Amino acid sequence: MASPSRLFRGMLTIGIRYCGGCNPQIDRSRIVREVKEALKKRGLEVDLTTLRERPVDMILLVSGCRHACLESKNIEADCGQPLISIKGEMVDAQYVEEVEIVEFLVQRIRSLFEEAVEKHK
Amino acid sequence: MAMMTGREYLESLRVLKPEVYFLGQRIKNIVDEPMFQPHLHAAAMTYELAHHPEYEEIMTAPSHLTREKINRFTHVHQNIDDLVKKVRMMRLLGQKTGTCFQRCVGLDGLNAIYVTTYAMDQKHGTHYHERFRKYLLEVQKNDWMPAGAMTDARGDRSLRPSKQKHPDVYLHIRERLKDGIIVSGTKAHITGAINSHEIITMPTRTMSEEDRDYSLSFAIPADTKGVTLIFSRQTNDTRRLDGVLDAGNPKYGIVGGEAIIIFQDVFVPWERVFMAGEYDFTTEFVETFAGYHRSNYGGCKVGLADVVIGASNWIAEAHGIGNASHIVDKLTEMIAMAETCWSCTLACSYEGYRTPSGAYHIHPLLANVTKLNITRMVYEWMRLGQDIAGGKIITLPSEKDLDSPGWGKMLEECLSGKDGVSPRDIVKMLRLIENMSVGAGLPEAMHGAGSPAAQKIMIARRSGVEKKMELAQTVAGLRKDPIFETLVGKDEKTHWDEVRKKIEERKVQIY
Repeated sequence: MASPSRLFRGMLTIGIRYCGGCNPQIDRSRIVREVKEALKKRGLEVDLTTLRERPVDMILLVSGCRHACLESKNIEADCGQPLISIKGEMVDAQYVEEVEIVEFLVQRIRSLFEEAVEKHK
Repeated sequence: MAMMTGREYLESLRVLKPEVYFLGQRIKNIVDEPMFQPHLHAAAMTYELAHHPEYEEIMTAPSHLTREKINRFTHVHQNIDDLVKKVRMMRLLGQKTGTCFQRCVGLDGLNAIYVTTYAMDQKHGTHYHERFRKYLLEVQKNDWMPAGAMTDARGDRSLRPSKQKHPDVYLHIRERLKDGIIVSGTKAHITGAINSHEIITMPTRTMSEEDRDYSLSFAIPADTKGVTLIFSRQTNDTRRLDGVLDAGNPKYGIVGGEAIIIFQDVFVPWERVFMAGEYDFTTEFVETFAGYHRSNYGGCKVGLADVVIGASNWIAEAHGIGNASHIVDKLTEMIAMAETCWSCTLACSYEGYRTPSGAYHIHPLLANVTKLNITRMVYEWMRLGQDIAGGKIITLPSEKDLDSPGWGKMLEECLSGKDGVSPRDIVKMLRLIENMSVGAGLPEAMHGAGSPAAQKIMIARRSGVEKKMELAQTVAGLRKDPIFETLVGKDEKTHWDEVRKKIEERKVQIY
């Protein structure tokens, strides 16, 4: 977990875990890029990292399809961290069309961020 | 109640009194009737194998509702392993019966209703899912076989359900009461209907707002008042009444034993209604069911292929041509096609996913590809089976003539093969190949779980062709290719400008 002081300054570190991308239904890297930009516009400075050893505030699993190859493996490896799982046109247990995924994620990340800030108050 | 054995299942049908008609007659007892017994035996196999230690790993599962061991035909898939075991179960049963064992339609119906009612409740705040879980518990507790009734009679296919001249060509709600609904209409081609404990209905197509009353799913006992079942004819069905040998597969029959179900002002209590007007979920309902069901065909039909390949090899050896290169070639073709379909169904199971309901669903695109292959390859491997069997499969004399004291012995000599092989056994095997390759099993492979056009619609819808165009544009150089730019260490335009210059200046070795 990143330091609480960074959270209070609206700074967030998100660990990105990509699936292998054999036949993705969605453009995974575009979604991640646009989420970062959209969050920045709304006052959240997000540091995205794919480095496993870095402490992070939450995990974003980015699978190209609903099969979600990396889900079970990473849920175990990253246990305890708040986690959002994109699975093609599905986020966690909800169907979301590709064009709506970015906005959906922004809402979800903001709410997790607010929960984390609240927790550290 | 514990899981039923095969015999217990057969006995359990005696308690039910469905209104069944066949050849213009009311059938009061289906259990003891030679016309229906083969179908009952095939369905009974789904019960019996669950009690054999050598099959129980595939045939049973722990219920996610009670944790008790249940027959897998009443199970809601909880993980990828369940999806894989489901299709292994299909292949196993195809191998054991050589025909349709009928119970998978209900299984797929249960799973489709489970998934869709959850989604409906999330959007509409209804309580269908909770209701359905209670019903599912009853199905598991009683080890019922529900007939999955999806396809309506449909009338004029160019008209929506609500625009049909005869409203009863589609099952629909006639009246909504405080304690339930009154329904009327017709479902067609319903597999295993006369020997099922229950009937579960599902919408047959995407409905619009004007078809609200046709957007319908419920479960009722098969002998509910107002339900009439008309058993369908099959190729050579009355051979079962001529003796034993001529039917081809006298133990387990041919295809599933379909029926038309007529509902006339049938009352369904609310606790057994799982969709009543939510037309916006009919597409999801149909696609979920179709996905599950289409994946099965790469299991059950491959089990049948195993039998027909074995029969073809046996008959070739009995005729003394087992080692002929053209026979080996044909058998190899049959095996390769069957295993291709098996690969498809395994793939769509292994590539399955967890739905919001928690139940697992197969990979829909691959499931439709599986079934589309089946609509072609079953014909092809059965054609090769006929080829190997020879013309005898359509010219064999009857059992009665074989038994004739006058010329029976001469006929047997005429039908003999390699020394040491009984001519009667040759006839038995040829009749089996005839049953499997000439009869109703072929169009069943074509139209069961939806006709090829239906699979193509789903394949086209889920093909992701836009993404494929993007791939092509990237490879062709119409779109930016960041990975290529990383490889060459500069942007693409600079790279190609440099290449062109190098060629022009003849700074390359080959020009």
